[in-house]
Amino acid sequence: MSTRKVIEMYGTALAGLGLFVFLSIFANNFLSSANLFNVLKQVSFLSMLAFGFTFALITSELDLAFANVCSLAAVVIGFLISTDVAWPLAVAAGVATGFLAGLLNGLLVTVAKVPSLISTLGTASIANGLAFMITGGVAFVGRWDPNFLFLGRGKLGPIPVIILFTLVLFLIVLTLSTQTRTGVHLQATGENEEAARRSGIDTRRAKIIGLVLSGLAAGITAVFLVANLSSAAPQMAGDFLLNGIAATLLGMTMFTPAKPNILGTFVGSLIIVMLSNGLVLLGAQYYIQDIMLGIIIILSVAVSASVLKRAAFAL
Amino acid sequence: MPVKISTRNIVKNYGAVEALRGVSVDVHEGEIHAICGDNGAGKSTFIKILAGVEQPDQGEITINGEARRFDSPQASLQAGIATIHQDLAVAADMSIYQNIFMGAELTRRVLGLPLLDKARMRKDALGYMGQLNPSITDMNAKVTDLSGGQRQAVAICRALRWNADIVILDEPTAALGVRETEQVLGLVRSLKAAGKTVILISHAMQDVAAVADRISILRTGENQIDLEGGELTADNLSHYILSGEVNRIH
Repeated sequence: MSTRKVIEMYGTALAGLGLFVFLSIFANNFLSSANLFNVLKQVSFLSMLAFGFTFALITSELDLAFANVCSLAAVVIGFLISTDVAWPLAVAAGVATGFLAGLLNGLLVTVAKVPSLISTLGTASIANGLAFMITGGVAFVGRWDPNFLFLGRGKLGPIPVIILFTLVLFLIVLTLSTQTRTGVHLQATGENEEAARRSGIDTRRAKIIGLVLSGLAAGITAVFLVANLSSAAPQMAGDFLLNGIAATLLGMTMFTPAKPNILGTFVGSLIIVMLSNGLVLLGAQYYIQDIMLGIIIILSVAVSASVLKRAAFAL
Repeated sequence: MPVKISTRNIVKNYGAVEALRGVSVDVHEGEIHAICGDNGAGKSTFIKILAGVEQPDQGEITINGEARRFDSPQASLQAGIATIHQDLAVAADMSIYQNIFMGAELTRRVLGLPLLDKARMRKDALGYMGQLNPSITDMNAKVTDLSGGQRQAVAICRALRWNADIVILDEPTAALGVRETEQVLGLVRSLKAAGKTVILISHAMQDVAAVADRISILRTGENQIDLEGGELTADNLSHYILSGEVNRIH
C-alpha cells in the first residue's frame, strides 16, 4: 500500500492516537480511570446516535431529526415512568417513538418525495414541539426504579453497563453494515440509486431502513440518557446533533475514505469526545468546543465530500 | 429457431408525446436481434419497457409464448431478461465483484446468520470475467478505475451472473474506441455462443451489420422494417433508417 493510501485510510485515526498521547502527557487526570470511563460513557451516547445517522447517510439521506427525536423519546420515557407505568414498558415506548419517527422520515422521503434535508428538518421541529408539549416545558425528575437506573449508571465489575452495551451494539451494527446483504443494499442505494434499482434492489426499502435505523438509534440512546441522568428534559439531546454529525463526517475520512462507515463513526466519536474532554481538562473556555466542532465538520467534508454532497444536493 | 420473446402493439405515451405507437417484434431464440433507429425513434423507451423500468400503456409481451407483465426491474430479471443499460448503471465507487453481484449477493451461514460470502463472490466474479476479459484479475478494483470497455465487461458479467436467457445491450459500443468496440462485439458473439438470446440496440450500423442475425428498424415509435440475413449491410441499414424505404436487395 502506498504511503498516500495509508494516510487516506488511517491518517485521522493516527491523529486520534496522537491526540490520546498528547492529552495523556499534558492534561492532568486525563488518564485517571474515572476520567477515562467518563470519556467512554460520553462516547457511548454519541456513537450510538451517530451509528443511526451513519446508516441514513450510507443511503445518501440526511437525518437532521435524530437529536430531537432522542429528546422526544426521552420525555416519553420520563412521562410514562412518572405516571407509574412499569419501566420496561416505558423503555419500549421510548424505543418505539424513535422507530416511528424514523419510519415517518423514511416514508416522507420515499413516498412523499420530500428531500431528507427538508423532511427531517420538519420532523425535528415537530419532535421538539411534542417534547415540550409532553413535559409542559420542564424536566421529569423524581423517583426512578433502581433497575431502570442500572442501565445508565450500573457497572459490571469496574465497567459501566452502558459501555459494554455500546461495544456489543457496535459489533452488531458493524456486522450489519459490512457483512450482510442489507448493508450492501444500503450502500449500493447510496452510491448509485438507479444502478441499485435496476439490479433488483428495493431502493425505497433501503432508504426507509436507513432512516428507521437512525430513529431507532435515537430511541435506544434516549433510554440510556434518561437512566444516566435520572431526568428527562425536552432538549436533553440537543447538543448531540452537531457532535453526531461531526463524528460521522470525521469517520468518513477514515478506513473507507469518502464513505460513511460504522468503524469510522466509532473512532470519530472517540476523537470528538477526547477533544472535548481534553479541552475542559486543559482549561479551555466552553465556547472553544463549538468552534472546534465547526472546524471538524468543514474540514471532514472538504476531505471527503462525495456522499454528503449527493445527499445535500438531492433537492 | 422458435420465438423467444415477442411484443405486440406496445404503446407508450409521455403526456402528449407518443414515444411508442405500436411496436411488434419477434426475437428468435439464440439469435442476435438488433433494434435500430434514429434518435427519438423509441429504442430507449422500448428497452426500458422490456427491462421493467417503464410500463407500457398498451400492448403485450410474451416470453416462450407466455404473456408477461413487468412492473419492476426485478420482475423482468426474474423472467430471465438481463438488461445492460447504456449508462451501464454501475456503482463506480464500488468494487468489480460488488457490482457483478449487486442485488444478488451470495451469503453463507456463520453462527446461523446469513453473512456475505465475499471470498466466493470474488472467485465467481473472476470466473465470469475470465470468459470475457481475462486481463482483469483484481475483483476488488473499483469500477471507477476501469476503461469504458472494461466497464462494459463488468456489466455483461452481471448479466451472466443473473443467468438470464435473454440479454439486452443498449448501445454497448457508444462510448468506445475501435479496439474496445471489437472487444465488445466479441463479447456479444460469445453471449450468442453461450446460447443466450441477445437484443442489441445500436446506432453504429457497422457494428450491427457485423453481428446481427435479424434487425428491426424503428421510426417515430413504430417498427417499420424487419430484415434478416443478407440484407444486413451498413449502407443498406443507414438507407432504411433515413428514408424509411425498403430497398430490398433480392
